[in-house]
Amino acid sequence: MIRKLWALAHNTFREAVRDRILYSILFFAVGVIALSLVTQEITVGDRDKVVRSVGLGAVAAFGSIMSMFLGISLVWGEVEKKTVYTILSKPISRWMFVLGKYLGMMMTLSVVVAIMGLVYTVLLSAQQTFPPAIVYVSMGLLMVELMLLTSWATLFSTYSAPTTAAGFTLAVFVIGHLADDIWLYGSQLESPAARAIARALYWVLPNFEMFNIRAQAVHEMAIPWPVVVGGLGYGLMYSAGVLCCAMWVFERRDLK
Amino acid sequence: MTPAISTQNLGKTYRVGFFMRRVRGLHDLTLDVQPGEAFGLIGPNGAGKTTAIKILMGLHRSTEGAAQLFGVDVGVPASRQRVGFLPERPYFYAHLTAREVLHFYGQLFGMPKALRHQRVEMLIERVALTRFADVTLAKYSKGMLQRVGLCQALLHDPDLIVLDEPMSGLDPLGRALVRDLILEQRAAGKTVFFSSHILSDVEAICDRVAILVGGELRECGLIADVVADRENLEAVLLGEMAAVTDESALGVL
Ligand SMILES: Nc1ncnc2c1ncn2[C@@H]1O[C@H](COP(=O)(O)OP(=O)(O)OP(=O)(O)O)[C@@H](O)[C@H]1O
Ligand SMILES: [Mg+2]
Repeated sequence: MIRKLWALAHNTFREAVRDRILYSILFFAVGVIALSLVTQEITVGDRDKVVRSVGLGAVAAFGSIMSMFLGISLVWGEVEKKTVYTILSKPISRWMFVLGKYLGMMMTLSVVVAIMGLVYTVLLSAQQTFPPAIVYVSMGLLMVELMLLTSWATLFSTYSAPTTAAGFTLAVFVIGHLADDIWLYGSQLESPAARAIARALYWVLPNFEMFNIRAQAVHEMAIPWPVVVGGLGYGLMYSAGVLCCAMWVFERRDLK
Repeated sequence: MTPAISTQNLGKTYRVGFFMRRVRGLHDLTLDVQPGEAFGLIGPNGAGKTTAIKILMGLHRSTEGAAQLFGVDVGVPASRQRVGFLPERPYFYAHLTAREVLHFYGQLFGMPKALRHQRVEMLIERVALTRFADVTLAKYSKGMLQRVGLCQALLHDPDLIVLDEPMSGLDPLGRALVRDLILEQRAAGKTVFFSSHILSDVEAICDRVAILVGGELRECGLIADVVADRENLEAVLLGEMAAVTDESALGVL
């Protein structure tokens, strides 16, 4: 079973790596990171910190873009291109297919984030100093964030076309980054019913800020371990839940 | 003996469009295919051949009845362990080469590496793709893809081979190749179940045939019995199609 899962994941990774689209996004991302790190024109505030902050932000932004862009057609693309026929007619369960695709996608994203991290490290070392450990911990948490975002994209891609899935995934992405504001705003509401709804929303929808220790990383503070461990547990459990939904939905579908 | 394929009152109603209009794909199909048989499924466009095959392969969920492969319900993935399948028009990963894609499929069957290697090389040669084995499938022609499809259907030496229009898109040489492959499999005691529009091939290869029209089984039996006193299979098929048109005109259906 593990070997079949590996075959599915590896194949997904190989397909992604051979696709030119991946390279165009990656090329662009590396370009932006490089540009943000070599900009000499910034006059406001502490230049070094601004540069570090923009660089880390770019890694996170492009990681998210890549996750959404590739994730929304992860399962749908296979159904649409009918490549799924020759796979699911083999002794492969549908849940295994979804999980294999997801794992392959996470392999792709890991490589992408690693490359961006490498570019960041090289350029920053050349310009300032070698980044402290907390920078890499923050990138690790970014990977957990991408696990969660990708699981949502996978869920949407099991039953809707990429355009619709893109809309939903983007909504989750935006709401997930505003979760703390929803909480703040919600707790100030007058009616108890509205407060309850806001609170329920907060618990159901993801909170991507749980994974964000970039500000601490930029200021080169000590690693906030409770936040890291909490984010890891939250991300793993939440992603697993969303993936289970994706498998359940796909299990019942007809493959056109 | 457990039939290779068995269906009981199998049916599928599709829901299409925004208003979930009902479209009948297949209705009340009861059929047994015995091990070692070559069985042909024929019928006009839209008769439900592909629908029946997709249900058997676990790609579509039936809405009525039940079906088993070697006695195992088609809803269970393990029912397809001894089965090879060629879809109507096979689609593969465009960025992979024939060799890579076949190794991938072999892994999905849980084949060990050495066996995989041996079978892949043998089949690539058998369907005359050796020269193109390391070219990505994006550069393949329709007939070449069909040959890759045949390879992946025969990869793990299955006991049951299900083919949806295996001859479509092939040149005369390719058609002869498919015909030979099917006969070879049958001679080796395998079960072959396939749909086709090329009735002369069906007559040449099959023991038994089933005729589907409008999602319903019209006839089923040995070719000689089905044809009976009529000229050939084509005459039978045309007759059934005309009969269905008459019945629906009379409001029978
Ligand atoms: N995914 C689907 N959604 C809705 N209706 C479908 C779907 N697939 C098939 N149908 C309908 O089911 C009926 C049977 O189609 P099917 O593809 O099984 O025919 P077929 O016998 O394979 O025809 P052909 O010889 O053209 O391949 C048709 O009326 C078709 O419109
Ligand atoms: Mg068909």
